[in-house]
Amino acid sequence: MAHTKLTDNVQLPDSANPSKLFITLGAVGVIASLIGVVVNYEQFLHSYLTSFTFFMSISLASMFLVMIHHITRSSWGITLRRIPETFSSYIWVFALLFIPILIGMGSLYGWTQEQSGWFYQELREYKSPYLNEPFFIIRNIIYFAVWSFLGYKLYKNSIEMDKTGDWGIDSTLRKISAPGIFFFGFTVSFASFDWIMSLRFDWFSTMFGVYYFAMSFQLVFAVLILMVLFLRNKGLLLNTIAKPHIRDLGGWLFAFSVFYTYIAFGQFFLIYYANIPEATLFFYYRLEGSYQYMLYFTLFGRFVIPFILLLNKPSKGNYKVLKFVSVLIVVSHIVELYWLIMPSLHDSFTFHWLDIATFFALAGIFFALFFTYFKKQNMVPINDPKLAESLNKH
Amino acid sequence: MDHNNAENKKVFAVLAEFENPGKLMKAAKLVSRAGYAKFDAHSPFPIHGMDDAMGLKESKLGWIVLSHALVGFSGGLALQVWASTYAYPINIGGRPFMNLPAFVPVTFELTILLSAFAAVFGMLFLNNLPKHHNSIFNSDNFNRVTDDKFFICVETDDPLYNEEETEKFFQDCGCVSYEKVYE
Repeated sequence: MAHTKLTDNVQLPDSANPSKLFITLGAVGVIASLIGVVVNYEQFLHSYLTSFTFFMSISLASMFLVMIHHITRSSWGITLRRIPETFSSYIWVFALLFIPILIGMGSLYGWTQEQSGWFYQELREYKSPYLNEPFFIIRNIIYFAVWSFLGYKLYKNSIEMDKTGDWGIDSTLRKISAPGIFFFGFTVSFASFDWIMSLRFDWFSTMFGVYYFAMSFQLVFAVLILMVLFLRNKGLLLNTIAKPHIRDLGGWLFAFSVFYTYIAFGQFFLIYYANIPEATLFFYYRLEGSYQYMLYFTLFGRFVIPFILLLNKPSKGNYKVLKFVSVLIVVSHIVELYWLIMPSLHDSFTFHWLDIATFFALAGIFFALFFTYFKKQNMVPINDPKLAESLNKH
Repeated sequence: MDHNNAENKKVFAVLAEFENPGKLMKAAKLVSRAGYAKFDAHSPFPIHGMDDAMGLKESKLGWIVLSHALVGFSGGLALQVWASTYAYPINIGGRPFMNLPAFVPVTFELTILLSAFAAVFGMLFLNNLPKHHNSIFNSDNFNRVTDDKFFICVETDDPLYNEEETEKFFQDCGCVSYEKVYE
């Protein structure tokens, strides 16, 4: 058999560490965003929420991937597991970065404000047991407490196994993951209700939690593929994360492109067919004018083009195809979040420099943290009991 | 009935037995490199990498499925467009006659239906199934292929087959036993 032992350098060398670049990017973004707070507060909040939900997508879906990996005792992705583990290890930082939204919720969410007209007054009254400011804050504290705890525990135990080589930790990780998935399901659903869906409190979709999850879980494979290709480009982990692993990521990306479309179309179709006025309003604003082109872009960028390109088996292992599709999906994810969030502020597509500034700020923080943590530890869980099996994959 | 005692019967194939999956795979590689075309490897369980070792080409099944999927897709869509815009237009809640979102489920279902049929029947067709009889079962030794034995068989129709040379070839490959299977 090919190679059952690690032959690659498992430390990220300084030459391949772009964290300085991201610190600069983040610093520029943060300063620009702070100017934006003064210049256009509402625009800042909406742009910030879009970027925030983008990076939370990566962290949360990474966490789910790691947990599902543990409880199914999978071996295929052991060699690349440290990447999603690291992504989800610093959700506590994003708990702090959620504070601007808590402060600004008075201007961001309609249900915090007095309404005019009896319909909206009564509706607000009716929904107030759930949609009220103290409960919103409490809920978000619970979400971030659960995620920070899970993400940190999964990361810490895995690092511990690197150091001690104690295989008993494998069962500890399973014990964290099984209830973890249970809590993850609830918290992610309600978080997406709170963050994005409640921007319009007259609209609701019970599928929205699954929808945000499906979006995120598709995205995470695109991000992982790009990350692995970045490492390969630097000549790292060439034999550790090899073609069979990348081909599997391509397979996942394909599968979850279809899953995402199924969920997204299911949500749209139910509302479209039932044709209940308060339910259709959401799509009414998003299928009119310039916003409709963003939807078409997402449809092609997240489903049609990836589906056609990845349908063929060899193309799932073709790095050029994978790179193109992954970039397309990442871009489509940003566009889709924008499409979900921005119509609550602008009636038609209005580009603002704060969209870029807040994205740079959070991208800088997110990836600077990632590469800092990634450098501190081994890039591969070197003492995992299933590592040999994963290396031997073909 | 004794299958092997038949002097006037034709030899259908030769069967070489190997000790374990590793040796089977090595032998399959050699057989395929030697240029044999009508050969097959048999084992109680699937062996990873065997396709490459046998030098098998990518299956054509995907193309069969794709063509049927496209027929299902365009057929389903065309049927609905024709029925609801031309043949029997009905006003449903003021929606347009040409109502693409509403056509998606049926189009999708027909695509899947024809793909599934193509996959199942295409697979049967490409495998020459159903087949009522295969002479290789005339070998009593071969019965244990579903249990713990590993075989490579070469059919005598193969242009490269030569009674002595093929036997010598398999002895060199390190087979445990070698036998002729009669029709």
